[in-house]
Amino acid sequence: MHSAVVHLHGSLVHLVSAAAEETVSKDPGPIVPELKELYWSIGSFVVFALLMRFWLFPKLKKGMDARYEGIRSAHESADAERSSARAEVADYEAQVAAIKAEAAREVEAARSTLEAERQAKLTEVNAKLSAQRAAAAAEAQAEREASRDQIHSAVADVAGLAGELATGRRPSADVVTKVVSEVMAR
Amino acid sequence: MIAESFSFPEINSILRWQDLFVSFNKIALIAVAAGVIGIAVFLLAGRKDASKAPKGVRNLAETSVEFIENGIVMQTMGKDGLGWTPFLLSLFVFIYLCNVPGIIPLIQMPATARMAIPMFLALLVWVIYNGVGLKHQGIKYLTNTIWPPGVPVALKPLVGIIEFISNIIVRPFSLTVRLFANMLAGHILLVTFALLTQSLITAETMQLMLKPMAILPFGMLVFLTAFEVLVAFLQAYIFTILTAVYIGGAAHPEH
Repeated sequence: MHSAVVHLHGSLVHLVSAAAEETVSKDPGPIVPELKELYWSIGSFVVFALLMRFWLFPKLKKGMDARYEGIRSAHESADAERSSARAEVADYEAQVAAIKAEAAREVEAARSTLEAERQAKLTEVNAKLSAQRAAAAAEAQAEREASRDQIHSAVADVAGLAGELATGRRPSADVVTKVVSEVMAR
Repeated sequence: MIAESFSFPEINSILRWQDLFVSFNKIALIAVAAGVIGIAVFLLAGRKDASKAPKGVRNLAETSVEFIENGIVMQTMGKDGLGWTPFLLSLFVFIYLCNVPGIIPLIQMPATARMAIPMFLALLVWVIYNGVGLKHQGIKYLTNTIWPPGVPVALKPLVGIIEFISNIIVRPFSLTVRLFANMLAGHILLVTFALLTQSLITAETMQLMLKPMAILPFGMLVFLTAFEVLVAFLQAYIFTILTAVYIGGAAHPEH
């Protein structure tokens, strides 16, 4: 039997080979395989590997593949839904843009119509105002002319009377009228 | 003067286990448990509702399937190799479940630290990838294997010998030894530091500082246990990815 002895001698530790003292072992070497271990190992592994190959692995893998396929199809479905939603959003945005453009066009047309109507009304009102202003001016002119004639006549009377009082005789009406007209024209 | 000692156990005593019953020892128990646990996990996972988001055991099973498909098959064999997923998944799960008991309290023995499982799996992989090569390339597989395209005629004898040894002999050997030796080394390290911790704690000594020093091997034991969690996964992954590379190379020599 091969062995080594460690002596703990005080603090001194030393290893002593006892091989020389031992007799030669009858056991096989430590690396020699034992048949019983070999048979049981072969049996265990072969059974395990065969079950794994034909039953355990296919069953597990089938479940894994089915789940992965489910996940993959769910991903694809989600992608399709996302694409569809994006298309709908794009369509909605296009419709909104078209409606906005239409609304802008109609607002612009309304604004144009309103402006035209405003201009027409303004022109009409301005024309009315001009006519009324002209009529008023004519009326004022007529009034002014009438007043002027009355003043002229009154001044001529006063001037004729004043001349008569100063000279004793009444000045000619034509002369008085001429003089008054010249004075008022200044 | 006190002299307390411990004997490092004889190597076979930490590797070879007495029969629990006729021809059924701890390694056989771990191998059978690995198969049963693997079957149970995938059986339970397959019964869960697949249409819902996976959780619990189904999540574990689906994660391992995706790890094999995306992390190994697609990286080494491409889409054509997806048919190999069940085999590679079985390989990975079985090796991992045989590795992990090395750090499970009370079990504390990786079944892959014994030669039987790594050797059987490596030989199985060897048969499979050579079978795949012959199926896909016919008899030309043998010449393509020992004479890669573009080798000058003058170098063919030398390259032929090297490639033959490399591809036909060394590959199964290296697959076996890589897994076996890594798990065995991890197991021996854990045993060593556990025994050293125990011997320092129970030492009958006048040196008062000796007992507290047990914290050092105990710290290493904890660290190595955590490290073995990584090693258990890593060795299963390496074995599986190399298998995928060998099968992919045999099926598509242009790769």
